[in-house]
This record gives sequence, C-alpha cells and structure tokens, in this order.
Amino acid sequence: MNGLSRQLNVIDYSLSSLWRRRFKSISVMVVFAAVIFLLASFQMTTKALTQAASRLLVMAPEITIQKMRAGRQEPIPVAYQKQLAGIFGIRRITPRVWGYYFNETHAANLTVIGVDPRLMPLGEKLASAIDTGRLPGDHEVVLGQGAEELLGGNRIISLFRPDLSLKPLTVVGRFRPATDLLTYDTLFLPPDDARDLFLLPPELATDLCVTVANPSEVDTIAKKIAALLPGTRVLTRGQIEKTYHAVFGWRSGFASVCLLTALTSFIIFAWDKASGLTPEERREIGILKIVGWQTADVILLRFWEGVIVALLSFVAGYTLAYVHVAFFDAGLFRPIMLGWSVLHPRLRLSPGVELSDVLLVLCLTVVPYLAATVVPAWRAAIIRADSALN
Amino acid sequence: MTALIELANVDKTYNQGQVNEVKALKGINLEIEAGSVVCLQGSSGSGKSTLLSIIGCVFPPTSGRAAIAGKQLSRLPDRFLTLHRRASIGFIFQRFNLLPELTVQDNITLPLMPLGVGPRERKERAARLMERLGIGHRAGFPARQISGGELQRVAIARALINDPPIILADEPTAHLDHALSLTFMEIMRELHRDGKTIILTSHDQLITGHPAVERLIGLSDGMLHVP
Amino acid sequence: MFLNPWSVALCLLSLVVLILLGIASRTAVKVLRHWNPASDSNRQISLENETWLSSTLVQYALGFQLFSLVLFVLAADNFSHVISGAMCAVGSLTANRYGMPALWLKLAGAFLYGLWLVVHHFDISSERYPLLKFKYAALLGLMPLLGADIACQTLYLAGLKPDIITSCCAVVFGEGEGKGGNLMASLPENRTLALFYGLAAVLAVLGHFLFRRRRPSLMWLSGGLWAVFVGLSLAAITSVFSSYVYAMPYHHCPFCLLKPEYGYIGFLIYGALLPAGFFGISAALASLVPAASGLSAVVDRFQRRAVLISCLLLVVFVISVSYHLVLYRLSGGEG
Ligand SMILES: Nc1ncnc2c1ncn2[C@@H]1O[C@H](COP(=O)(O)OP(=O)(O)O)[C@@H](O)[C@H]1O
Ligand SMILES: [Mg+2]
Repeated sequence: MNGLSRQLNVIDYSLSSLWRRRFKSISVMVVFAAVIFLLASFQMTTKALTQAASRLLVMAPEITIQKMRAGRQEPIPVAYQKQLAGIFGIRRITPRVWGYYFNETHAANLTVIGVDPRLMPLGEKLASAIDTGRLPGDHEVVLGQGAEELLGGNRIISLFRPDLSLKPLTVVGRFRPATDLLTYDTLFLPPDDARDLFLLPPELATDLCVTVANPSEVDTIAKKIAALLPGTRVLTRGQIEKTYHAVFGWRSGFASVCLLTALTSFIIFAWDKASGLTPEERREIGILKIVGWQTADVILLRFWEGVIVALLSFVAGYTLAYVHVAFFDAGLFRPIMLGWSVLHPRLRLSPGVELSDVLLVLCLTVVPYLAATVVPAWRAAIIRADSALN
Repeated sequence: MTALIELANVDKTYNQGQVNEVKALKGINLEIEAGSVVCLQGSSGSGKSTLLSIIGCVFPPTSGRAAIAGKQLSRLPDRFLTLHRRASIGFIFQRFNLLPELTVQDNITLPLMPLGVGPRERKERAARLMERLGIGHRAGFPARQISGGELQRVAIARALINDPPIILADEPTAHLDHALSLTFMEIMRELHRDGKTIILTSHDQLITGHPAVERLIGLSDGMLHVP
Repeated sequence: MFLNPWSVALCLLSLVVLILLGIASRTAVKVLRHWNPASDSNRQISLENETWLSSTLVQYALGFQLFSLVLFVLAADNFSHVISGAMCAVGSLTANRYGMPALWLKLAGAFLYGLWLVVHHFDISSERYPLLKFKYAALLGLMPLLGADIACQTLYLAGLKPDIITSCCAVVFGEGEGKGGNLMASLPENRTLALFYGLAAVLAVLGHFLFRRRRPSLMWLSGGLWAVFVGLSLAAITSVFSSYVYAMPYHHCPFCLLKPEYGYIGFLIYGALLPAGFFGISAALASLVPAASGLSAVVDRFQRRAVLISCLLLVVFVISVSYHLVLYRLSGGEG
C-alpha cells in the first residue's frame, strides 16, 4: 500500500516538524487545550447535574399537584383529595409537607420533609435507606449525614418555629451515606410535626403526590386532575425531568455560545500562527517542493500537523476537564450553574462520559480549528518550487 | 535514437501580459545527449536558472516544445511536472538548500517521503550513498553541525537518492572555495562515469574550463550562442 | 431551540461546510470562466494552484459532512430528553416535518461530495484534465443541495419546542404518547430476511465476477441492486434487526444502535453499509465517464477497487447486522 506508507511518512515528517518548532506548537496547544477545557468542563458539569437531577427524580411521585395563586405556589388543602376519588387509575394520594429550614448558626438551609412513610409508594425503600435507627414516629426525626453534623449530633434537637418558639424532636435514625445525593441535608419527620414546625394548619399540605397504577396513563390522569382542580399546577415526573434537561441544556447552550467567543479568538490566533510564514518556513517548503513534494503533500503535512496539535490539545483539555468535574466538583463553574445549598458542595459529580459527549466537544473545538487552517495550509503549500533555486 | 533533452523554440515569459513582463528565454533550440556533461555559461540575468528550471521540470515553457527523458512537457500541469521531476531529475543548489535542523540522513531521504518509501528502505538507501560519498559517520548529525565539504556531499547524496538519470546543478560552486570546487567537479566526473547526464550552470572559470565538461553552451539575454 | 450545545454544534458545522464549499465554488466560477491550459499567464498559474485548494476543501467538507450526519442523529437522541412524547431519536426527528428531510439531505450531501471526489480523482489522472469543466460545474451544482440541507436543519431546530414547566396554572402536555413509536410500518420478518440475505448473496456473486472482468451491463445491474440493497437494508435494520439488538420486540429504531447501551454497534453497521453502498453505486456510475476522455484505464482500476471494497464491507455489514439475530435464534429463541 503505497498510499498508506506515504501517509505514514508525512505523519512522521509532521511530528518532527512540530518538534522542531516546539515553542510555537506548544503555545498553540496550551491555548487550545484551555479553550477545550472550558467547553468540556461546562458540558460535563451540566450533564452531571442533569443526571443527578434525574436520579433524584426517580424517587419523585409520578404526579405532583401544587396550588397556584397569582403565579406562585401556596399550600394546598388536603381535602382536594376527595375530589379526585372518582378518577380511575389513581393508586394513592399522599399529602406532603416540605420546605426549607434556615439554620442561622451555620447560615445553611436544611430540607424538611414531612410524609407518612406508610403512604409512600417507596416506603419500604426508605426504611432500607436508614443506616442506624428506624423510621420516625410522632415527635421523632431521621437526619441525613450533613444535617446531623450541622445540628451537633445530639439525641434531642430543638428547631425554631416561625414565631421563634422551640420545637423539640428526638433523633431516632440517620440515613446511609450512600443516599447522600437525596438525603444529605434532610430532616425526615411525620407530616403533623412538619406542619407544627412550619405552623401550617392541619388541613393544608405543601403539595399532593399522586401514585398511578399504570405508568402509561400518567398523562391522561394528569389531564383529568387538571380539569377537576382549576387553580392547580399538575406536574408529571417526565415533565419535570424534561424541564431539568431543557434548563441545563439551555444553560450549557448559552455557555457554548459565550465560550465560542473564546474559541473565535483562538481561531484567529491559530489562523495567525498558521498563515504567518517565517522565511525559514518558506525556504523549507520551497525545498520540499523542488525535491518532489506535490502541493497536496505539503497540504497533507499541514493537515497532519493540525490534527496532531488538535488531538493532543483535545486529550489534554478533556482529561483536565474530567479531573476538574469529577475530582474538584467543577469548582470553577458550580456557583454559576446552580444556586447549590451551602451544605451541598460535598455532592460528588460523576460525569459519565459517552462517545456522543466527546464528539460534541470535538465538533465545537477541533472542527473550527481544522477548518481555519485549511486556507493557510494551502497558501503555504503553493510556494513555488523555483523559489528554492534563488 | 533521439536526445535525452530536446528543446524546440522554447520561450519563457515571466508575468506574461503584465507591466513587469520579462522575456527570460527566447526561441531556445537545444538537444542534449544522454550521458553528457554540459555547462551553461552566461552572465547574471542571462536566463541560466530559467533554462535549468525548464529542463528540471520545475515549470513548463511559455511556448515551444520540451521533451525531457522521453516525456513531452509543453504546458503540462504542475502536478505532472512534479511526478516527472521526482523520477528523472536530481537538483544540487548554490547554497545546498539543506534543512539545518534535520539530520543528514533525513535531509538525504527527503525526496523519498512522498513516494511512500518506508523508513527501513530509506535508511538503507541513504546509508549506501553516504558510504559511497564518505559521509557515513555523519548520518545522525543535524545538518547545521557539519562542515562545508560534508554539506556538499549531503546535497549531492540527496540529488542521487532516487537514482535519476539527469543531475542539474545551478551555480554549485558560487559559494565554495577553490579546493571544494575541485572536489565537486571530481564527484561530477565520477557520476558521469556512472552514466548520469549532468548539466551545470556557471560563470566560474574553474568549471567552464574543467576537463570533465564536454560541452559549453553560452547564454546571453535569453538566447543561446556558442561561446 | 438554538440555545442547546447540540444545536450550536450543528449550526457551527453547517457554517463551516458552507464556508469551505463557498470558497471552493469561488474557485469553480473562476475556473469555468478563465481556465486556459495553453496560457502561461499569472492568472492561469494561480488558477492551477487554486485547483489544489478546491479539492482539499471538498475533502474537508466531506469529512465534516459525515461528522454532521452522525452528530445530527446523536443530537436528535439528546433532544428526546427535552421534547415531550419523544422517547429516542425517532421521536425528536419526527417532532416536526423538517427532521427526516434534513437527515436525508445530509446523507445525500455526503454521497455527492464523495462522488465529486471520485470525479476529481479521474480528472487529475489525465494530463489534459478532461473532466475539469464538468467537475467545477458539478461543484456549483452541490451548492443548492447544501443550501437545502442547512435550511432544513435550521427549520428543524427552530421548530423544536422544549417542554418547560411554565409558572402559569395551565398544564403543558406533549402531543401525547406514541411519538416514540415507529418510523415505518413493520415488514413481514421472514420474507424481509429472505430478500435481504438473497440480495446480499447476489451482490457478492456479482462482485466476484466484476472484480475479474468489468462487463458494463453487469456493472449497471450491480449498481442498481446496490441502491435497492441500501434501501432494503435501512428498512430491514429499522423493522427487523434493531429489535434483536435491543432485545425488545417492539422497539424498532435505526438510531438507538449508535448508543453505548448497545456497544456502539451502529457505528460498525452503518460504517460498513453506507461506504459499501457508496462504492457499489459509484462503481457503476463511473461507467458514465466518456471513453473519449482517455480515462478508461483509470476508471477501470477504480471500478475494480470499488467492487472489491464494497464486497469486503458487505461481509462486515452482514455479519455485524446479523450478529444479534443469530445469537438470539441459536440461544433458543423461537425461530
Ligand atoms: N520568478 C521570476 N519572476 C520574474 N522575473 C524573473 C523571475 N525569475 C527570473 N526572472 C528574470 O528573468 C531573467 C533571467 O533570470 P535567471 O534565469 O535567474 O538568470 P540567471 O540565472 O542567468 O542569473 C532575469 O531578468 C530575471 O530578473
Ligand atoms: Mg541564476
């Protein structure tokens, strides 16, 4: 295969040529790797957050009913359940009381969830998520790892109601560290205690969770609920998930556009490096041409140089991005991506890298770079052979 | 049998049709037999390099016919000129035109790269030539680290690496001292013995008067004359 | 929905291909107007230089177009997380009426850029450049196709509306279920398979003959059968083979094959089928090069190689696409 060994020879020569101009090559690679690092980090962070959100949603009820007034959510009367009794296909309706409890000493938000475990579809699972202790009874609470640390590890904790009176609760259990993603900052307690803590009247709840017998009927049932209960917002799990995807997708799309400006300046830089030929380079190409290199051979040489620079930068930038996201929790981006609660920085982002993600970043970075170097490569390649004759 | 190089009514005009038009060659008729040593003689600007470029398949003539080593080149696209040049021509330049950062061996095998000759064969062919020219011990040295005489041999080795029938040298001794110029001509004489056709350009007495040169061709103002 | 990294990437890729082919067609116009091989003017010299540029640009454009084809499908798969009712790439590609046309146009683009490079290869094999005018006219002819490709893609992306929970009281629902369904009515399995393997065998036998001697009539027969075979294969992958890969009898999707869950086997399947089809068909089309151009030896060499490549890829394709089916039937699935 003559064509193949020609390619190999040209690759061989382009490696040595990059090495001879190593300062120029390395300067291009460093800048390029930095651009790739930014884009890839952003892409991985959004992806990891979307996946984390999806995993959270597995636990979410199939349908959530929220009461809306003036475009804002407000507590929903538990009695609404009765109006839904006629809808066929609903397995269970669980009122849920939840909210955030602000801990002033640590300036951190804790998530308070009040649900009767016996009414939850995944109630049994919840029991298995408890590391030590048991499910809470009246005036008892189970804490997540982070919440426990924050509240000092006492057996009895006292929380402030909105009127600043104290509500004591007995800690009877702690969630497993493996469930941190869901439970890290959580206080899990019976709904009546949650109402007491938030001073919510007993006939109200934060929202109603609906469990459906047949998953394929979710949309139909949700439509029926919406028709029966005007003034509520009916969310299906699929829809929440798509919203997360859309919002994160939008954010990373916006970020891509912003980062494209960085990319553009890099492309201009690369164009400049590729098209500004030093007299030595002109001389070299003249020599190559006269000893029998075709214009196409010189273009090929430049192509391989571009590919090698791009791939090395890509591997470096992408690997650094992975390290940044997986081991440093995307420290550079997280504050922008999400108003994460103070407690949450412990959350591990695990970006699952798929071929499609790699191709996406490759397309956003390497393609414009290679495209920008075509014309300069050709310009260099058409230097006349007789220029070597002087 | 026809001549190895046949030029008939060859003109070369640079920048044709423009204000800076230069008629570098006018109506050249020239035949060169295989295996001869020819020297093109003429003052600076007389068109020696231009004629050598046409013989060397660097560019085609503006008009007229040129047949080099059995191939009709008149108005041939660049792509095919290059193909023919690779196979038939070895060039030796005034300042050697070596790449100073490359090793001696890599400089010599430069013409083999686009032909797809593999690394082992390249190494073997270069080694044989370097042995013959007495620079075998320099194979791994960068070209900028070796002496003028060795550089000259490297340049000759590069011209010979693809074993072309025609060797062209454009003012090869213009920057050489007397001794090196003499060794250069000795090597040419040896190549002549191997059957190569050699065409030199020069206005150096040392070359034009050298016994190895069989034929002198005068060039002035783009036209041939017998000196 | 343009503010999504996938949309940004697709638009960027289209823009790059547009710029590259735009520069190439500038050369095409100049060559068509001013090409004069007898002249030694600077214009002719620079035109000769530009012919190197244009072919390089089309090569890049072909590479990026193939990339864009893959990315388009992967993007569609990704969009299915955002569009309600869409379960996978099929759902999002059929979410509006520009999705599938855009995909077909991309495929056609890749095919034609490849064909152009074949013509270019023929052209530069002769010192007279006998196909030069045709080649550059054809290059200009590719531009409307590229325009349609970009227009369809843009309309497709513009028409995608992600489902976001709004803060108003209304419920947002997609057009309901069923969108994740099928691209085509399913084919009768055993008859399709018989036809598929029968045609593959015929092509292999034809290839065997054509590799030895290129009879024009057989060449055309083979080219026609290849076109049919590519269509049939796409249908058979969608309707029959895919569900064996997924091990889900009701999931008929030609695109999920590209996903990591299935070992990226789709890249192997399509990476064999599409080039095989390209070489199978272009070998026949190469017969159209007029004998007067003096290219018959070059054309013949190309046809010989193209036939060989298409047959080798055919084997790879048939093995890779049948793998799961055979495994299933051997392991005692009902057969
Ligand atoms: N690339 C070129 N463009 C324009 N004019 C040129 C070029 N090369 C050479 N010339 C002109 O052609 C004439 C012959 O040049 P050349 O062949 O280099 O002569 P010599 O080698 O004998 O010195 C000179 O007048 C020179 O200026
Ligand atoms: Mg000169």
